[in-house]
Amino acid sequence: MSGQLLVAAIISLGLAVVAGVWWPRVWLGLTLAGAVAALGAAVGVFATGAEWEWKSAILLGGDAVHMRLDGLSALFVVLTAVVGAAGAVYAREYWSDARYPASAPRGRAWWSGLVASMLLVVSVSNGLHFLMAWEAFAICGYFLITLDPKRPAVRAAGWLYLAASHAGTVCLFGFFALLAAKTGGWELGPRRDDAALAPLFWLALAGFGVKAGIFPLHIWLPAAHANAPSHVSAILSGVALKMGVYGIVRFSGWLPVPAAAGWVVTGLGAATALLGIAFALAQSDYKRLLAYCSVENIGIILLGLGGALLARTHGDAAWGRLALAGAMLHVWNHGAFKALLFFGAGSVLHATGTREMSRLGGLWREMPWTAGVFALGAVAVAGLPPLNGFVSEWLIYLGLFDAVAGKQAPAWAAMPAVILLALAGALALATFVKAGSMMFLGAARTKPAALAHECGGWMRGPMLALAGICLALGLAPIVVWPALASAAGAWHPAWAGAKLEAPLATLGWVQLGLAGLIGAAATLLWRKVRTNHLGRGPTWDCGYAAPTARMQYTSGSFAGLAAGWFSWILRPMRTLRRPRGYFPAAAIRLERVPDVMLEQLILPVGVRVMQVSSAVRRLQHGRLSAYILYVVAGLAALGLLVLLESMP
Amino acid sequence: MIDSNLNVLIGLAMGLNLLALGTSRLPALIRAMSVQGVILGVMPLLMEHQLDWRVLLVAVATICGKGLLIPGLLRRAMRTVQIDRELEPLIGFVPSLLLGAAGTIAALALTHLLPLLPEHAGSLLVPGALATVLTGFILLIGRTKAISQVCGYLILENGIYLFGLLLIKAMPLLVEAGVLLDLTVGVFILGIIVDRIQRAFDSLDTRKLTALHE
Repeated sequence: MSGQLLVAAIISLGLAVVAGVWWPRVWLGLTLAGAVAALGAAVGVFATGAEWEWKSAILLGGDAVHMRLDGLSALFVVLTAVVGAAGAVYAREYWSDARYPASAPRGRAWWSGLVASMLLVVSVSNGLHFLMAWEAFAICGYFLITLDPKRPAVRAAGWLYLAASHAGTVCLFGFFALLAAKTGGWELGPRRDDAALAPLFWLALAGFGVKAGIFPLHIWLPAAHANAPSHVSAILSGVALKMGVYGIVRFSGWLPVPAAAGWVVTGLGAATALLGIAFALAQSDYKRLLAYCSVENIGIILLGLGGALLARTHGDAAWGRLALAGAMLHVWNHGAFKALLFFGAGSVLHATGTREMSRLGGLWREMPWTAGVFALGAVAVAGLPPLNGFVSEWLIYLGLFDAVAGKQAPAWAAMPAVILLALAGALALATFVKAGSMMFLGAARTKPAALAHECGGWMRGPMLALAGICLALGLAPIVVWPALASAAGAWHPAWAGAKLEAPLATLGWVQLGLAGLIGAAATLLWRKVRTNHLGRGPTWDCGYAAPTARMQYTSGSFAGLAAGWFSWILRPMRTLRRPRGYFPAAAIRLERVPDVMLEQLILPVGVRVMQVSSAVRRLQHGRLSAYILYVVAGLAALGLLVLLESMP
Repeated sequence: MIDSNLNVLIGLAMGLNLLALGTSRLPALIRAMSVQGVILGVMPLLMEHQLDWRVLLVAVATICGKGLLIPGLLRRAMRTVQIDRELEPLIGFVPSLLLGAAGTIAALALTHLLPLLPEHAGSLLVPGALATVLTGFILLIGRTKAISQVCGYLILENGIYLFGLLLIKAMPLLVEAGVLLDLTVGVFILGIIVDRIQRAFDSLDTRKLTALHE
């Protein structure tokens, strides 16, 4: 049953690619139907606990089509279907035919293509077909990022994405080719006992790590997420990055891993989480901020996975299962709240036309719905109870705490990991306090912000749905336990079984109680405000006779202190002109935080390579005599080599 | 006895190499090349103790091809385009002469280092071949007129032919037919190219071909 539903979903999405160009309504129907079918397939796998496998006689590229849907794949199928459907509805207003007559049809077709290819990535079980689906997915992503190709920044971001993506794919080609060479076929499947395959893990980590956005491979991510249309940023951040995570989780589960894998993944996860959020804190563009925050969340997922790998290599400790479940739940959670936040960001961008936080302010009056869901997403992403971000991070914490308490070798990785995770969580809170307050609180800093308008129903609906998911996952985490248990079982058979982890059961009640308390307090406050008829004054009135909106904190000043701790890696570029004299005129303080890895490491190296290449290119000038001279020189060098070798 | 006759002929061919390098006049260059071709054609007859019809065929074909046919074609091409001097070589005549001489000495010296069969050890065949190939390369690199480059190419082929003579006992016909065929095709193509270059650029200066790169 699950299998038929999944195939139906992929066919429906394939038809939607065609329909998207001409019939928007049919496209929406087909995409939603595809998403529902995919969701049904995944739920079927979770409910029955049975793995669906289908090996057909159809040959593609000389190999039989082989599909497989187990607990782990189903987890990612759910994520893809939910965000794919929400984004499709959202795009109807956000990237409408009326506003973008040229690119809207194209956007619809690529959207369905992206969702379909991602479903294929997680369900095919053949290395060759995996690469095909992976490539299709990367290319759909490229065309979605560059939906608005007139802006140079968009084109640059698209190229960077494509280049980084292919650099990762090169590693994957190596990985699958070596795997096929060692196993004698492109078929994928569990081969946990073949120790010779362990070193391939590093290739997979590098290849999938580029897509996942592991620090320092994240270079493509901020530009692509910031410049893509917001519904595309949402699916890129919420789902596309998770395809990289899927790859790492899938192949670390099916194949043996080197002994150091757990340590490396934990270390990478901690570094990614901390540095990702440090960069996010220092951004002044809210979409770039969200992009860096995605890097942080990938780090959290990797921390959980690293814990699970450590546990698996150190005697199957039970805490590994907890950490893995936390990581897998975080995959869902991040997909939900980051898509929500990007939708909210898209709504703000739609209303004001700027991505600069210091040009906004006071939007909650004009855009209460957007402000509300953004605040909810911010609470979730900061990992505060009673929302979903807290649940998954709590599970990872518990796993790592148990590892520390176990007093074995993994404790040495778990202890610093816990500390760094806590630090990252605190910084995430600071980041989203800053983002929320800059955008929605205070007074409008510029005219576009004052003239903002709330988004319409097609954009609000998906946001509310995702907010509902965040709330539901936070309040009733027990409901999703079977899914997490089945994913953990698919990853490591020794951890199979539906036994509910005790902390999760208690956590559900605590979250419910907390939510009840918050709800009661909010109602009480609301009543009090209503009955006392509190008057409203200007937000910024601290003794100034004529305050202006520009006297408010800017995003740079808000984050200045915390960003200062990380100036060793952030390397902000500052322009400063102090006020001088008794009657100072203009003073300027500009700060820009570039992506250090890209602008100070990759780009200079790229420039050097180009210089050397163009110098070498001078050898190719079209003079025949010189070409013959090269041949003679080459021959002479070879002869000399032979002579030298033959000499005693 | 036969070996020393052979060595005399190879020495003569090596002298012609230097003549080809030192002359600025195209007729002299073509003559040097054609005489070298005739000398090369005679060599198989000296190498074989009893005359086989196949060896005879190879010798006659080489003499006709290298000594008469190809030089004739080149002379005709020279007359059509009305050029008989190489005026501005990339490597001057004296430097190329010195290079050729140095190359010949190096070839003689290097031969001792090569792992040759004992029956070839005393013969000038290998150093002669090396020196001739080198001469061909110097002409190809150092001359700008297409006809001189064709001559360079043909002298290069003569060097390869000399190497081929080492194998004549093992597979006489195969080697020779291959070399001759290669040569003929090469000359035809170059003849056509010479004509085309002349028509397109009003000159045979191959440096002007750089306009075509990319």
